[in-house]
Amino acid sequence: MTAVVRTEGLTKFYGRRRGLEDLDLEIRPGEVFGYLGPNGAGKTTTIRLLLDVIRPTRGRMSVLGSDPRDPAVRGRIGYLPGELALEGREKAGEYLAFLAGVRGGVSRDRIAALAERLEADLSVPMGKLSKGNKQKVGLIQAFMHEPEFLILDEPTGGLDPLVQHEFLAMVREVRAAGRTVLMSSHVLAEVEDVADRVGIVRQGRLVAVEDVAALREKAVRRVEFHFDAPVPREEFEDLPGVRDLRVEGANLSCTIDGRPDALIKAAARFTVVHLVSAEPDLEEIFLTYYSEENEEEARHARAGVQEPA
Amino acid sequence: MPALVSKSLRDHRRSLIRWTIGIGAFFTLYLSFYPNISQNQELYGEAALKKFPGAMRDLMGGLEGFTTGVGYLHGVVYQLFGPMLFVVCAAVLGNQAIARPEESGTLELTVTLPIDRRRLVAERFAALALGLLGVAVATFLLAWGLSAAVGTGVAVDRILAAHTGVFLLGLFFGALSLAVGAAAGRRGPAMAVVGVVAVGGYIVETMGRNVDAVSWLRWVSPFHYYLDGRPLYQGFPVGDYVVLAGAAVVLLVVAILAFDRRDIGV
Ligand SMILES: Nc1ncnc2c1ncn2[C@@H]1O[C@H](COP(=O)(O)OP(=O)(O)OP(=O)(O)O)[C@@H](O)[C@H]1O
Ligand SMILES: [Mg+2]
Repeated sequence: MTAVVRTEGLTKFYGRRRGLEDLDLEIRPGEVFGYLGPNGAGKTTTIRLLLDVIRPTRGRMSVLGSDPRDPAVRGRIGYLPGELALEGREKAGEYLAFLAGVRGGVSRDRIAALAERLEADLSVPMGKLSKGNKQKVGLIQAFMHEPEFLILDEPTGGLDPLVQHEFLAMVREVRAAGRTVLMSSHVLAEVEDVADRVGIVRQGRLVAVEDVAALREKAVRRVEFHFDAPVPREEFEDLPGVRDLRVEGANLSCTIDGRPDALIKAAARFTVVHLVSAEPDLEEIFLTYYSEENEEEARHARAGVQEPA
Repeated sequence: MPALVSKSLRDHRRSLIRWTIGIGAFFTLYLSFYPNISQNQELYGEAALKKFPGAMRDLMGGLEGFTTGVGYLHGVVYQLFGPMLFVVCAAVLGNQAIARPEESGTLELTVTLPIDRRRLVAERFAALALGLLGVAVATFLLAWGLSAAVGTGVAVDRILAAHTGVFLLGLFFGALSLAVGAAAGRRGPAMAVVGVVAVGGYIVETMGRNVDAVSWLRWVSPFHYYLDGRPLYQGFPVGDYVVLAGAAVVLLVVAILAFDRRDIGV
């Protein structure tokens, strides 16, 4: 199957300011791709390039198999801008009807159903909507025409937890229907529940693309065992993936890196009274990428010095 | 009607109505003075107006035959203030096509719709032209009615000729503000360019008539193609109006080309 998004060396400079440099990215059909990075990393720049809002300085891209300059391709995309501007006396419902018309028509019932789901009031003039309520209108317009590909720039901004939950359910439904989603965020926690893969971008460069399941497997988790009697430390030393081992009488605690299998089998030889296993902290891995990138940045800087100007 | 055209017209409905009322009020006010002026020849006649400095009379379009119906209509309504009101109205509409929505950020979602960028500009221009036409038709009917009511004695086809010129002049400046806005993405530069071309163009056309050093510049002044043919006196200056309309189309093409190759909202 052809990729939904494929970029090669995609680069955008705003004058001399770097927005994005040498992005090689592939988004596969049917996946939810989380696009993560700190402020100013280049997430919005990437997304605007994919929608032909801005034009690349160099590099190539294809979206749904074509150039995003082709208007027909844009009709197959649902887009939520990162800085959604809705204003004026126009009612949200009228605006949605206009957008729906241009995209080839959406039934009123579908818009009404989405509005009800997100608890959005479409009869209010858009200029008077609160930030979160504007965001809901933005989500409705992105989802309403059931596009093949959803591009959502910080979709959860301003939404209360209940609506966020509903939104994530909508994303899962989209994936279940075999459609594709690209969503950006600052934190992994926001996307890890729905994303199949995440890409991490920093200072205009893609630092890593990871499978969320693999990330979870790799994740460090703290485990504690409480036995009915003191256990010998030697039995647990040098087990694969076990680190920071501490044995105090009948209590054992450690962190596991990867699969807990060996540890469980070792523990099974004793009587386990109580077991505590904390959720893997993906955020920690995520932050590691940020700091690793710092080193890489330094390496780039050194390489830059050696290059003739 | 294409979706963007009807949407723009709907969005600008209130502003179009306000402009129609404003321009209508101007026509009503000034034409209502006419009976008073035509009855006071000694106060407003040729001799009295000769007291104004020549340059100032030039700037006001000569002020000849001020107490006659056609002279009054020409000098007071169709010479300076009428056209300028249309120019400002059109420039504001031109800015609402691209520059304003770009500044406020609403253009971002619009350009991601399945509409070709060139068509987007063309449809916004069509909305501008239709909106301006609406204002022109309404104010023409008013001017015609008032002119008959106060007894200027000017034939309706002459009023139509002058009003058409005002409309085309407005269309030209609307296209100018659209083109600058489409290229720059900001309202400030568009308003600045419209201001300089309108004021400069008007001065060159009126005062330049009697100054050899700048009289050649009249050919590039948009006002030349409206004022020089004296439509209220001589009817439709067809060639001049074709030039105005053609220039508006050229500006539209410039707007389309500039907008098509640009980053939006940066
Ligand atoms: N219009 C612009 N002009 C100049 N520089 C810009 C412009 N837009 C973005 N940049 C720069 O490009 C870089 C990437 O910006 P971008 O908006 O893509 O970041 P982001 O990842 O979306 O950040 P955030 O999480 O804050 O939304 C930043 O350094 C930013 O300063
Ligand atoms: Mg952003």
